[in-house]
Amino acid sequence: MLLLGPINVLNDLLLNVFSQETINFFIWPLIQIGLVVTLVALWVAYATYLERKISAFMQARLGPMRVGPWGLLQPIADGLKLLTKEDFIPEKADRWIFFFAPYIAVASAFIVFAVIPFGPDWAVIADVNIGLLLVLAVSSIGVLALILAGWSSNSKYALLGGLRSSAQMVSYEVAMGLSLIGALMFARTLSLSGIVAAQGSDSIWFLVYQPAGFLLFLISGIAENNRAPFDLPEAESELVAGFHTEYSGMRWSLFFMAEYAAMVVVASVATTVYLGGWYFPFVYRLEAAGYHNLYVLVSLLVFLVKTSIILYIYFWLRWTLPRFRYDQLMDIGWKWLIPSALINIVLSGFAIFVVQALDGWRGMRTIESLERGLNLTATGKGIMIGFGVAGLFLTAILLARINWRSRDFNLKTQRRNIKLVNLPQGKPAVQPGS
Amino acid sequence: MTLSGYEAVFFWIFGLAAIFAGLLTVMARNAVHSALFLISSLVSVAALFVLARAEFIAGVQILVYVGGVMVLFLFVIMLVNVGAQERGREEIFNNQRQVAASLIFCLLLVGGVLYAVNRGYSGLQALNPRPEGTVGQQSIRDQSHPPSATGSSRITEDAENVGASLYRYASLPFEIASVLLLVAIIGSVMLARTLRQEASADDVAPEVLQDEIATDPTLPQISAD
Repeated sequence: MLLLGPINVLNDLLLNVFSQETINFFIWPLIQIGLVVTLVALWVAYATYLERKISAFMQARLGPMRVGPWGLLQPIADGLKLLTKEDFIPEKADRWIFFFAPYIAVASAFIVFAVIPFGPDWAVIADVNIGLLLVLAVSSIGVLALILAGWSSNSKYALLGGLRSSAQMVSYEVAMGLSLIGALMFARTLSLSGIVAAQGSDSIWFLVYQPAGFLLFLISGIAENNRAPFDLPEAESELVAGFHTEYSGMRWSLFFMAEYAAMVVVASVATTVYLGGWYFPFVYRLEAAGYHNLYVLVSLLVFLVKTSIILYIYFWLRWTLPRFRYDQLMDIGWKWLIPSALINIVLSGFAIFVVQALDGWRGMRTIESLERGLNLTATGKGIMIGFGVAGLFLTAILLARINWRSRDFNLKTQRRNIKLVNLPQGKPAVQPGS
Repeated sequence: MTLSGYEAVFFWIFGLAAIFAGLLTVMARNAVHSALFLISSLVSVAALFVLARAEFIAGVQILVYVGGVMVLFLFVIMLVNVGAQERGREEIFNNQRQVAASLIFCLLLVGGVLYAVNRGYSGLQALNPRPEGTVGQQSIRDQSHPPSATGSSRITEDAENVGASLYRYASLPFEIASVLLLVAIIGSVMLARTLRQEASADDVAPEVLQDEIATDPTLPQISAD
């Protein structure tokens, strides 16, 4: 019965102790937060297990097999090992910042789950109007943890890792934010539940309107999480372990947890914005038939499956692609991702303008309603999908033309050609810094 | 004022946190610690914005100041050597007259802000009157918004209003401001380039460039560092 009807029993029980206002403002959110934190922590732990298994299968190995059946208890064993290890603080480290940096990392990754719509109704903690903005803002705090960890360790490897991470994350944050704007034009709201509702009432995924936006978001999300092939901040072959070289025991595992939680965050935002979130075609029929909680649970399951697929892409890329060089990383960020995100915004705006102009032209109907996002008729959808696919090729051609031989760019000849300086050929320059 | 219940509790927590973090920003001896206290202060102010129902401003405050500006701040602090100030043991408040002057200006500022807030508040009350019993609750305009998925909060049109007015009524000033930022970026790059970097870009020895600049009356003098 609990599956079918609303949960009123617990509410009645709580009413004996607290007022309705306290229950709505504190007790229910606290229950939701507790559930989400526990489940996400478990998910994160088993993401490490899955990563090891998937990497093993890709290399024709078995992976962890000893602890429990198929090694299923391996994450718990790992957690216990890390908990009992020595928590070492270097003598010259800045103790307080060294102490706090892992907590900033974990907090910034976990706070985002407050606004992620795992499902309808009670499966979302807070549906705020600035949902997507909050996600971007809070995950941008994550970079602070990395810099502070790198600086406070008072070690060269850690400092270099921290500086690399800050430069990388600041540049990819821009592309990440810009790539989402195209999808927001269709949703007409920043609220994540609103974005899911817009896709639900249009019965389409924004992925088909915005293929370029999805690709850009996924690439910049992977770079933002410092995952391979963008794992420069912790490049093992160059920097020992990057920003967490000096960390050990539980504090080190907090960084690890934050990295996997941030991966789950990016995967769930990509699911929500581009893959329709918890929506799937016949889910509203369950609600109409009166099975309210079943409807929520099925939606939750759909969301988990979609997010897991994106997480699998993460693992897949990690074990197939080699790491980029640092200048290549910056090239991709500034010369490819950010310009193509800007082109995507312009093209999406133009596509929406065309569809709106065609509405009512010679009896053509393209727009169904504007109430919950931009809902299009079949004709409008066709036009929009055409624009999306064409935009993918147009962006690629345009950027390939702009960036053609951009690495051969010669500042000296450029300056001489435009007569900025008119210098005689002197003896060769000494190296800067000597 | 009009805050009551849980909102008042959160207001006092975040307000005091903002003030003390601001104080510690100027009192911390280590530059990185100062930056961290400034970040705490900014986050507390963002929380106050949320309490004032300006969620969009709060989000932008964290995204721009904490995620962007302060990260670059920390970047610069770590690259530039600020060790001398850290290791020094001088008193921070060593000059009686400085302390007195800053206290006087602080009090003047507090007085001015209080006066302005009171004036503005009574003006707002006259503009948008509320019945006595509803003080501290959501206004009727707020309650008319559609409820969110959880039902405990309501969706406002804050972000939509900002976007619409920015791109409809203020698009020209917006574009001018962005061009101004671009000018600032290019200018700072030009200012930060030294003669040695210029010379290495042109692949000549610095002395050649130095002579060239010294003999060219149309160019401004650049220091040879």
